[in-house]
Formats: sequence, C-alpha cells, structure tokens
Amino acid sequence: MAFRDQRRRPLVLVLLVALPAYVVARSIAQTEATPRRIGLPGGLEATTTMQDLHGAVMAGAVIAFVAGLVGVFVMQSALAGDRRLVVAGYRPGETIVARLAVLAAAVTVAAVASVAATAVYFTPESWTPLVAGLVLTGLIYAAIGALAGAVLDRLAATYLILFAALTDVTIVQNPMFGSGTPDGWAVVLPGYGPVRMMVDGAFSASFHAWGELALTLGWFVALAVVVAIVLRRAVGPSG
Amino acid sequence: MLSAALPTGAAFLREHLRAPLTLVLLVAIPAFFVLVFASVLGEFATALGGDLAQRAATSISAGWAAAFLSGTLAFFQVSSSRGADRRLALAGLGSWRVATARIGAAVAMAVAVSAVAFATLSLRSGVEHPAHAAVAILAFALIYIGIGAAVGAAIRSPLEGSLVVMLAFSLDVFSGPRMTSEGGIAAWTPTRDAAELLVAAGGGMASPAADWLAVGGAAAGALAVALVAFWLGSRTRG
Repeated sequence: MAFRDQRRRPLVLVLLVALPAYVVARSIAQTEATPRRIGLPGGLEATTTMQDLHGAVMAGAVIAFVAGLVGVFVMQSALAGDRRLVVAGYRPGETIVARLAVLAAAVTVAAVASVAATAVYFTPESWTPLVAGLVLTGLIYAAIGALAGAVLDRLAATYLILFAALTDVTIVQNPMFGSGTPDGWAVVLPGYGPVRMMVDGAFSASFHAWGELALTLGWFVALAVVVAIVLRRAVGPSG
Repeated sequence: MLSAALPTGAAFLREHLRAPLTLVLLVAIPAFFVLVFASVLGEFATALGGDLAQRAATSISAGWAAAFLSGTLAFFQVSSSRGADRRLALAGLGSWRVATARIGAAVAMAVAVSAVAFATLSLRSGVEHPAHAAVAILAFALIYIGIGAAVGAAIRSPLEGSLVVMLAFSLDVFSGPRMTSEGGIAAWTPTRDAAELLVAAGGGMASPAADWLAVGGAAAGALAVALVAFWLGSRTRG
C-alpha cells in the first residue's frame, strides 16, 4: 500500500532518477583531469585526477541531499496518517516496515541512477565498496532526514538537510578540497565512513576501509533504531 | 489593498519564524555558504574548467545561499498554504490581497537572508562595490522566489516540489558564469545576469547598464510570476 501511494506520484520516481543522474553526469563530464594526490583508508596514498575524484564522490553528495529530503517527507506523511491505519486494524509493525521499505526503495532508485551515470565516465578499482558506501550514505541521510522531519516543520527540515549534506559529504569529506584527506575531526560526522569506503573502492584494488565500514554500519543501525522508535511512538496507542 | 495585506503579510512572516530553528538556519546557512563554501568554490570552479577567482567565488556563494533559501521558502508558501489562503480569500480578504501579503512575506524573508549573506561577505572579504553586491544578492533571492512559487503552483507534493527546486538550483550552479569552461545553457539561466553582476562586484569591477537592466527585468519578471502563483493558490472556485 505504501508503494501504491508512491506510484500514484510518478514524478517522484522521475526526479529520483533525473536529479542524481543529471548532477553526477554533468559534474563528472565538466571536470578537468587535473592531477590530485589523495589519502586512502589504511594510510595509503594515490595520485588520480579531479575528474576521477568527482566520479568517486559526487554520487554520494547528491544521494545525501535526495535521500535526506525523502526521509523528511516520508516521516511527515507517516506522522500525519499512520496512526489512523493502526486504529483501522493494521499492526504498528506493518506501518513501520512499510515506511522503512519506502525509504530503502527510494535510496536504491537514486543509487542505481547515480551509479549508472557514474559508470558512463568513471570505472572504479572495485565497484562493491563504492556502491555499498553510496547506498549507506543514502540510508544514513534518509534516516537523518526522517528524524529532522519528525521534529521540525518542512521548511526547517529542508534547510537542515541542505546544511548537513553540504557540510558533511560535499565539503568536509570531499578529497577534491583541502589536503586530499579529511581532517581528523571529520570522523565524527556521519558521512565519514561511507565516503571513505567509496574513495577506497574507487582507487584501491583491495579493501582497506574495515574501520570505516564498521563506523558506517554503527551509524546506520543507530539511526535506523531511532527512526523505528519514533515511528512506533507515532502510531502506538496514546495515553 | 495595502492596509489589509500588510498585517496579513506580517502574520505570514510570523508563521515561518515560529520555529526558532528556522530563524537560526536562515542566519546560519547564508553565513556558512559565504564562510565555508566560498573557500572551496574557487577550487571547485577550477576543477570544472572555470576561471572564477577567489573573491568572485566568495561573492557568488552569497547569491546562491540567498537563492536556495528563498526558492525553497516560496515553494512551501504556495504548496503548503493553498487551503488556508483560499479560506482567507473567501473570508473577505480576496485573492489578490492574499497574494500581495504572501509576496510581501517572501520578499521580507529574502531581504533578511540577503542581508545576512551580504554582511558575512563584507566581513569575510570586503566588497569593492557593496551596493552592487547587495542588489545582485537580493536579485538572486527575488528570482528564486519566482522559481519556487512557480514550482509550488504546478506541483502540490512537497517532496516532488523540493526536488524540482533542487534540480533547478543544480542546473543554475553548474551553468553559472565562470563556473565551467562550457557554454551550453549558461546563456539561459535566470540568474546569469545577477551572477555576472555579483562576480564583477566581487572582483572590483563595474557593470554596464545593460546588465543592470537585465537583472531588474529578471527580478521583476520573477516577482510577477510569484504574484500570479500566489493568486492561483488562493483563488476560490465558483
């Protein structure tokens, strides 16, 4: 039923594909192949180009925005209506699973579009960590968006997602800027782990980002639990 | 008309500022854009093959901050307030007064956001043509009020609408003057002239009268579009 609700609005699907595909394709295609030295997980270094770096990380920046916005509005929709579904006879767990499934599906659609656009211009050393990092970026920011949507109005939540995604994924974690390696304090931000996974997959033949993977999964599980709790409280019996 | 629209416009303004975090973000985001994003924008433009100098990059980041915040605000004003605006119009205010009040609130927010962006720009790097920069930043905001309101009139869903506003913003950013080495749609983006003004002001250069006329025309056109969008949103049927 939740997916039927989304299918009723085909423009969402179009935008989940078009926005990431356009931004990723345009940014990579326009970037000059200026040499750049970056730091990789595990203490390694690599010399690459700005164009390849854009290929490695741009999808993460876009999906953070898109997934965050999806999270905001899915949560606000849930808060507005899911309590009535429970009163009508649905089990609370069913409504929660449905909403989480919609979030996951939206992230997947945006991730597929981003990966497809990236693949036209860039081939990483290993697709698996790059795609995993991308999807986890989306899931983490979808959860952050959901929590923002639960406590803020839509305008403030949209602004907050812009601020968070821009600061974290687009600037602080981006090896295109600064020294080529995120500063030490960047590890406290949610985008650190998945972006380092993406960079490792893009430029390293073997996987070295085990610590970053653990950190990413920690963020994802913690945020998913909190989102589930918020949804459960929203649909649970009052009083 | 104004005696009814002004208090209503003030009420619309209070509606958005009721949440303290909204006010905080309206100040923090423009300041952040100018202080942090500007420092990487020059590198970003160079990576894209553009020739945006550092001072110009700082200036244009102020315009984009004002643009995105104002466009998002205008979108939510139109899409979220249809029911309430129709009831206000039916209660005696009339559609045009409601639309005027909405425009007034949107422009007031745009002025506030632009002021924060301009103040941060002045403090961070100074501007050799401050009046030019201030007008250009405000023009960015006013143009995006038109874009956001038009999107809100066409698209009711908040998710789709905010994604369309983001897509429009992305098209604009990637096609902005000096941002890339390509031509393409750069000649047709609505903020092109405002961006040229802002880049020139940031770089300490004057702009020809034609650029000013073009910016004035774009801003006026955008506000006209916004007024129509707000009117359509508050129009009663039958």
